[in-house]
Amino acid sequence: MYWTLIKTGLIRKRIRTFLTIMSLFVAFLLYGSLQTFSSIFTGSVKGLSAQNLIVMPRYDMFGKLPISVAQYVESLDGVEDVMYFDYLMPIKLESMMDGVVFASSPNFFDIYTRFQAPDEAKQALKSTRSSAIVGKLMAEKKGIKIGDKLSFKSTSMNQDGSYNWSFDVVGFYTVTQLAGDEMAAIVNYESVDEARLSEKGTISMIMARIANPNMADSISDKVDDRFMNSSYATRTGPESMMAVEMASEVADIELIMTAILLSVFFTILLVSANTMSQSIRERTIEIGVLKCLGYKDRQLFVSVMLEATFLTFCATGLGLLGTLLLIPVVEQLSDGVLANTFNLELEIIFGGFILGLIVAFLAASVPAYQALTLRVVDALRED
Amino acid sequence: MINLIEVKEVSKIYNRGGETLVVLDGLSLEVPKGDFLALMGPSGSGKSTLLNLISGLDSPTSGSIIANGKHLEKMKSSALSDWRAGNVGFVFQFYNLLPVLNAKKNVELPLLLTNLSALKRKEHVATALNLVGLADRGDHKPSELSGGQQQRVAIARALVSDPDILVCDEPTGDLDRESATEILNLIQILNRDHGKTILMVTHDPVAAEFSKRTLYLDKGKLTH
Repeated sequence: MYWTLIKTGLIRKRIRTFLTIMSLFVAFLLYGSLQTFSSIFTGSVKGLSAQNLIVMPRYDMFGKLPISVAQYVESLDGVEDVMYFDYLMPIKLESMMDGVVFASSPNFFDIYTRFQAPDEAKQALKSTRSSAIVGKLMAEKKGIKIGDKLSFKSTSMNQDGSYNWSFDVVGFYTVTQLAGDEMAAIVNYESVDEARLSEKGTISMIMARIANPNMADSISDKVDDRFMNSSYATRTGPESMMAVEMASEVADIELIMTAILLSVFFTILLVSANTMSQSIRERTIEIGVLKCLGYKDRQLFVSVMLEATFLTFCATGLGLLGTLLLIPVVEQLSDGVLANTFNLELEIIFGGFILGLIVAFLAASVPAYQALTLRVVDALRED
Repeated sequence: MINLIEVKEVSKIYNRGGETLVVLDGLSLEVPKGDFLALMGPSGSGKSTLLNLISGLDSPTSGSIIANGKHLEKMKSSALSDWRAGNVGFVFQFYNLLPVLNAKKNVELPLLLTNLSALKRKEHVATALNLVGLADRGDHKPSELSGGQQQRVAIARALVSDPDILVCDEPTGDLDRESATEILNLIQILNRDHGKTILMVTHDPVAAEFSKRTLYLDKGKLTH
């Protein structure tokens, strides 16, 4: 019975139904896309370790800390190992580098397990000061091979008075997610620090592996309290939290996304509510006739609600399917930088259908109530 | 003869904008089973209101209506829906078929409320369409049928659940004379051969001649 009523409502004005589904489809495509692609804006990348603490300058994400901070962090109870690095920023247009160079302590790969490199390359990074491990994606893009010289100009001045830097490529690294992180190179911190003329003994970031994630807060507080009133105030926290914070320093992306989503949501609501109300108003006599035939108020209320739900679920399904189809397109357009980065997670799908249900409920509740309370004699009087 | 419908001292009063409007004024009426009653009278005389009350679409301000042994004025909305589904078939002036459904699906609508299987529903629909002479037009949508044919489909829809009472509100008001005569003949057959009790509101004296008896209403009262 309900399917006949729903179908009758939907095919009554096919073009209007199609356009309503399309408008909702665009909205849910936007929802799916924002939810799926937001990880690159919000820093909420999967696989970030809760066991790794990040220590960085408190007031400037591109600022510097003295290396003594790393030594202090390493001395704390519960800290198992500490890795630190400084950025050696290449001047992009004049170099064979397209990304960042991390001048790191040799244990970079031991701590930052999201980055993976062959053992011999890691060993070379520790033993040979001029060695560089290059991201696989960048190596592919630039045609870099093992044994090549990695030469580039940087904003840091070298001891010879030039800005030229050169390293020996000893291997390639990969990352488990966000292929864009493969657009970088890892070199030995000591050799860089010795060679540069300024900012000696400083680092940009420290990553500490702690014995127990439950100790993250206490260790973070201890570090931040220790340097709070110094020239090098720190900001410490788990890797995942800091990634989000760093992203939010660029802009309050989450707020912007929420604003967009809310705008879309209310636009959907208005469009759907208007369409559904109009559709029900046009069916006043039909509803009256159905009540004459013995259809109960409650049955007609439910059928209107189901019709709206069916409509929004169709649009939700199409929108999420569209998102799924967009993922390889976006990855392709990023030239591999965002390869294997995005997934249409189950929670996004579930959230989409919940959102669809809310839209259907809000849009159809008033017209469904009108159908519920419509008196047959009033309906037939319009005849 | 057994009375299928008994209307006792029924009044229907509307209050609109502080004004009291008496549409039916203490009206009493008995309709025996198998009757074919035509109700005539000027516009606003209360014909359609009386029809609505007898068919359980509206409730009286006072008085009682007993139809097929049930006190309609005491029944709640949901129970009245069930009662209508089993006891009353409706035929309207403008047919009121659902435009997106074909004739078969329109006729099937009342049966969707029953527990009949799809096969049984199909059989009932075929029987009803056959009865009104439209067995070969079942797949046509209302827009593909003439006015007379649409009214036949509406009659098939009214009959398909085999109700005792057939309520017809100006069933020929939108038809030419030839089609109107066909429809009235059909209604007469349903009364005579199938024992349906017919209540028909009409302005047309020719239509009223098809009934067994005619009652006239004026200002909410039966005049003769």
